[in-house]
Amino acid sequence: MRITAAEKQATRGRIVDSARELFRTRGFDATTTRDIARAAGIAAGTLFNYFDSKEAVVVTLAAEGLARARAEFTDRDAGGSLEEDLFALISAELRQIKPLRKFIAPVLETALSPLACADRAGNHEALRVDHLELVAEIARRHDLAEIPPMALEAYWALYTGVLAFWASDKSSKQEDTLALLDQSINMFAGWLNSAAGTPR
Amino acid sequence: MAPQLAELIAALPETDAAAPAAVHAGLPDLLSRSSQRPIPIGRFQRLSALGTLQAKIGAAYLFHWLRGWFKSADENKRLLAEAHWKTAVRVLDSMSYLRGAVMKIGQTLANFPDIAPREFIETLDRLHFDAPPMHWSLLREMVHNELGDDPENLFESFEKQAFAAASLGQVHRARLKTGEEVAVKIQYPGIARAIESDFRNLFLFMMPARLSRDWENTKDQLEDLQRRLAQEADYVLEADNQRKARALFRDEDGIVVPRVFPQYSTSRILTMERLEGTHLREYVARNPSQAERNEVALKLLTSWYRMMYAGRMHYIDMHPGNYLVLEDGRLGLLDFGFIISLEGEEWELFRKVDRPLTTGRREDRIAVLKEWNEIRDDETDRLRLIDEFGAWCWMARYRGGVYGFDDEAEFRHGIDLFTEMLRKRYSRGRPNTPAMARGHFAWRALMYLLKAKVDIRSLAEREVKATGWDRSDYAPSP
Ligand SMILES: Nc1ncnc2c1ncn2[C@@H]1O[C@H](COP(=O)(O)OP(=O)(O)OP(=O)(O)O)[C@@H](O)[C@H]1O
Repeated sequence: MRITAAEKQATRGRIVDSARELFRTRGFDATTTRDIARAAGIAAGTLFNYFDSKEAVVVTLAAEGLARARAEFTDRDAGGSLEEDLFALISAELRQIKPLRKFIAPVLETALSPLACADRAGNHEALRVDHLELVAEIARRHDLAEIPPMALEAYWALYTGVLAFWASDKSSKQEDTLALLDQSINMFAGWLNSAAGTPR
Repeated sequence: MAPQLAELIAALPETDAAAPAAVHAGLPDLLSRSSQRPIPIGRFQRLSALGTLQAKIGAAYLFHWLRGWFKSADENKRLLAEAHWKTAVRVLDSMSYLRGAVMKIGQTLANFPDIAPREFIETLDRLHFDAPPMHWSLLREMVHNELGDDPENLFESFEKQAFAAASLGQVHRARLKTGEEVAVKIQYPGIARAIESDFRNLFLFMMPARLSRDWENTKDQLEDLQRRLAQEADYVLEADNQRKARALFRDEDGIVVPRVFPQYSTSRILTMERLEGTHLREYVARNPSQAERNEVALKLLTSWYRMMYAGRMHYIDMHPGNYLVLEDGRLGLLDFGFIISLEGEEWELFRKVDRPLTTGRREDRIAVLKEWNEIRDDETDRLRLIDEFGAWCWMARYRGGVYGFDDEAEFRHGIDLFTEMLRKRYSRGRPNTPAMARGHFAWRALMYLLKAKVDIRSLAEREVKATGWDRSDYAPSP
């Protein structure tokens, strides 16, 4: 029997929805791929046609959340300073992926880590590229020239550092992450501005 | 003899030494103090804490003082201490939120060069920090974090720009859905813990000093600072004090403590009724008439006595920035972040010493001052000075009748006594004594600022009576 692309897409969607729900109710660790498959109404083996692992499902969930956040950010009229806009973008992302906070670590390791930069062929690359494109777009909006590639790498290291900190932030309501994010962005923006020679 | 400022600054480790010429040129400016700090706008200030001349002076004195601890130590120990302290100064320099505080220390030390830093710290019962400014995106997240929704949804309107700076954050104008105009004070995320951990680091670098005789004292100061910081960082506590204070005043008092809106307040956010008025210094600058100034002075004192007698709370932070003169003439009281609550034994003792202090008889005063300050019989100079300061503080009250607080020479006399007390460390004793001494000094300073001519005895007696204390045996000297 041939499976149409639409059917495939629907199954994939069911897997992701089931996983999201199970992670939320049972927690990441207590959820097995078998549980996810059962909840999605497919055979355990079938799941692996779609995802290599439980972690891969999380990557997809994260990617969805991040995309929603970017859309939301773009819709809202930003119009603040460079720092403010970058902060708004990243904090919108954090809000979206908040349900994943406790088990985002594997995603950070495989998909987002600056250490994974040598392996830029994988489908995770989209996560990175989409985010960085929006950052470049924000910079342009603030009349900054094209961000040099090395500066983008540095930005990425800061960004993922903040995410990693957030994932294990034990402060009340993760307020320390907000402070770290604020200060990291200021550092980056200060650097861009001074590189661009715009006195501010 | 006080060391030369320029030398001190030159000896300051690891900061780009200010040119000596600049040092001298800048000094006269130090004498002008501003009570209002700038509103945080602009970007995060990655400024060095010691960036200004005033701050350098503060740090230089501090460093000089610390070095003094090791004057007689052997060479190795001295070198070790020096190395640690250089690091400590660098840590201090990175604590940019201390800028204002260090500047204030520098200003005071430049004005009173023979006060040692430690004595200065004794008066610093209220530390001002300069929290980094928060832009709208960060504020939104803080509000969302703390109150569970975005400010746009929670409030009818919310001004994106802060209208005032607070010690640990900033204050915004907003309107509630129910129509009330409010001031929302928001803390920079995690700042209290960041400050505390910075201080712990500082403390660590000062470890070589632990063998010196001043170490215990320094440790006490740091622990005290940590306690105060924890207290100030918790807006729930502040809201509690504010509610208690608010309940003490009636319409006819003409004194307002802003109402707190608990459903919009947490330990990091304090939402309260917004008062529109003029800060005290600004008010005085408009040259109000004597009668108007007296009116403000009476309200100010009523509020102070009311809180003290009926509220059992000592409002220490009597600086002009915490009082607003409202359009309709009422007096607004702000900032309940630092209150000393007198409880239990301390309250009983306070009750006991209050009356004899107001009879105007020296022997009455001496007896209670000895008890309150735990003065030994052989400390004659300490007793003399505390008594003189006590007389200065209480004279207007025991004399009765209209008292002119506009006498410059008399006010200066008080400053001299207060400074001498600090220099000789005479206000030590009970943990709260330095703060209370400062409170006494502060109300006199406010009266002087207002050039008030008022009868404070009848006012104070009214407040005392209202608490139901039995004062039937009260016999002021004729
Ligand atoms: N209810 C209010 N109505 C009007 N203005 C207010 C109100 N609350 C605070 N403000 C303004 O904000 C300023 C700082 O507030 P507040 O003194 O409570 O903060 P703080 O953190 O204790 O700061 P500081 O240490 O500088 O006193 C006040 O001087 C005043 O200008």
